[in-house]
Amino acid sequence: MGFFLIALPVIAVLLFMLFKNSIIQHTISLLTSSLLIIIAVYLTTDVMVLGSAHHTALGGIFYIDALSIIVLDIVILIGFMASIYSVSYMETEIKHGKIDRGRLRLYYILMYAFMFTMILALTVKNMGIMWIAIEATTLASAFLVGFYNDKYSLEAAWKYVLICSVGIAIALLGIIFLHLSSIGVLENNQFLDWIALYNNAESLKSPIVKLAFIFILIGFGTKAGLAPMHTWLPDAHSQAPSPISALLSGVLLNSAMYGIIRTVAVVNRNLGSSIYTGRLLIALGILSILTAAIFILTQKDYKRLLAYSSIEHMGIIAVAMGVFTPLSVFGALLHMINHSLTKAMLFLASGNILQKYNTKQISEIKAILKLLPISGTVFLLGLFAIAGTPPFSVFASELSIMVSLFTAKKFVVGGALALLLAIIFAGIAVTLFKMFYGNNQEEELQPGETNKAGTIVIVVLFLVISISGLFIPDELKNLITQAQNIIIGA
Amino acid sequence: MSSFFDSLSILILLSSFILMANKMSKSYIKTFRFQSFLIALAAGIMGIKTITEEGRFDVLVVCLLIIILKVIWIPNILSKAYAKAEYKVEKDFILNIPILILVCCTLVVFTYFSLATIEGINDGMINVQVVNSVSVILIGLFFMISRRKAIGQIIGFLVIENGLFVTAMFSTQGMPFIVDIGIFVDMITAVMVLGIMVFKINEKFESINIDKLSNLKG
Repeated sequence: MGFFLIALPVIAVLLFMLFKNSIIQHTISLLTSSLLIIIAVYLTTDVMVLGSAHHTALGGIFYIDALSIIVLDIVILIGFMASIYSVSYMETEIKHGKIDRGRLRLYYILMYAFMFTMILALTVKNMGIMWIAIEATTLASAFLVGFYNDKYSLEAAWKYVLICSVGIAIALLGIIFLHLSSIGVLENNQFLDWIALYNNAESLKSPIVKLAFIFILIGFGTKAGLAPMHTWLPDAHSQAPSPISALLSGVLLNSAMYGIIRTVAVVNRNLGSSIYTGRLLIALGILSILTAAIFILTQKDYKRLLAYSSIEHMGIIAVAMGVFTPLSVFGALLHMINHSLTKAMLFLASGNILQKYNTKQISEIKAILKLLPISGTVFLLGLFAIAGTPPFSVFASELSIMVSLFTAKKFVVGGALALLLAIIFAGIAVTLFKMFYGNNQEEELQPGETNKAGTIVIVVLFLVISISGLFIPDELKNLITQAQNIIIGA
Repeated sequence: MSSFFDSLSILILLSSFILMANKMSKSYIKTFRFQSFLIALAAGIMGIKTITEEGRFDVLVVCLLIIILKVIWIPNILSKAYAKAEYKVEKDFILNIPILILVCCTLVVFTYFSLATIEGINDGMINVQVVNSVSVILIGLFFMISRRKAIGQIIGFLVIENGLFVTAMFSTQGMPFIVDIGIFVDMITAVMVLGIMVFKINEKFESINIDKLSNLKG
């Protein structure tokens, strides 16, 4: 069953190459993403019952445990939402003459190649192959970022490929050092195997492991959008088509963060404490949140603002991983889920706004609530949610991270985090809320939603984040606790 | 044997110095070809050693792949892309060459002192091979910063990749085979993606000067 998870996107890519008719292409896309959901549900129950899922194919490199299934479920869920949203979104883009019909095929091929690389990164236990898959995510999504082929999107795509490839090359150096530290400890066929590394963590050579961690943190941190390596992120997120922005922000950043979390688990076990990794992660995390706060306050483009908000939330996750108590790791994983769903919803809603107003400038947009009654309302409430207002889910996870900071007696970090979150809330309020009121000067804009199916997706996501802020199902709680035990090693 | 690898690693480091001193985009490609050839030589000798000692063929396969990809295929398509895109001769580097070379020397010294303090890499004496190959990575990174044209950045990226490969080879006798193959697949794709992008940038901006890419800020 797990094998189909990897095979399905590949089959989809091959089918897209065969069929030129766009109705068939939309159908293939919807079918594939629904099948992926079914497989994901099956695998999740598997992991919940058995603890992990092994597969014997290709020398047993496939391995899924509670930590990977959480990130994997986010990938597949947001992929499904994006595929529904894409149908009408891309048709509208074709109608407006932004792209021609032939490029729809390229879009789907690249989108499913992108999905494939992310799924691969999350289902292997070999750190080397995980690196290969994460590097491949950049290559698969490069042309999606540069999809509109104009000056702006090409610039964003070039920056994206170059900065991320170099960053990830540095992560490879870290993985080489990790490999070096395990020579003499592991058998030949266990090299770079995460489980073997983790089980034998105490006997790895600590000085090299420390060196490896710095390189891996910088490398995967580039991909996860941690400051000061974040410069590609606002460009890529703002220039990509909106469903792709949702995938980039909600999914890609998590996959890179997943690589960091796996390494942190090994390194902390090797060193016997979390002080070393904790200092680095908290420093980078706070720096990311600070950078995001400054740029959010002065932002003029709403998609870029959402991108900076992603940097902020990746920073929060990094800080929580740095604290490394059971509560903070729980908060980090929960925050990963909540941020992904909320941010995907906001990016999809911003796609509706972009297609209605045809501009990304905040100052040129007025009266969203009149013109787009449903997605406008959801966008407004979503902004409250992402800024951390109760009763939404982001508030719940931010609160647990905050509590964990103070119970770990990290008062300075906790205070700084609270202050910066307040500044970001104010920044979002000051810059974005003027979009919702006033009257639109241009008479030709008609009120009403264009992307019906997409709007339903947005509303469903909104309901999910509202309900999960008040109540987390026991199954999810158990799954996160399982993942937390894997990381901390209880 | 180890003194032979020592001298090869020094030659590889030297080739990245030569790259830094190059003025023309065309000679970047030639120097890259030369450096890849040196790496293929090192991999070939190591491959023969592993066959006779352990009976493994994988390092020799990797050597063959380096010759096909890095010595022949990638330099060829880069020369083609360059011939299409380059019709104006522009000054490419930001600082002048003596300063660039001095910075490179500093990078090597920096690597030497930072790796000298780490136990586990050095068994009693400092491992010159690892110091040299990590320096190649840093010089590749600096090369990317110091050039303005897209082609310089691609070559810089490939030199980083070369440095990573030699680091892996000298420090760990090569990564697991499946990982090596995967890295090659990624590299081929990366070169193709970057090549197509250079072509598109040249079309839209009428130049491959990266300075022109400055619309997105803030």
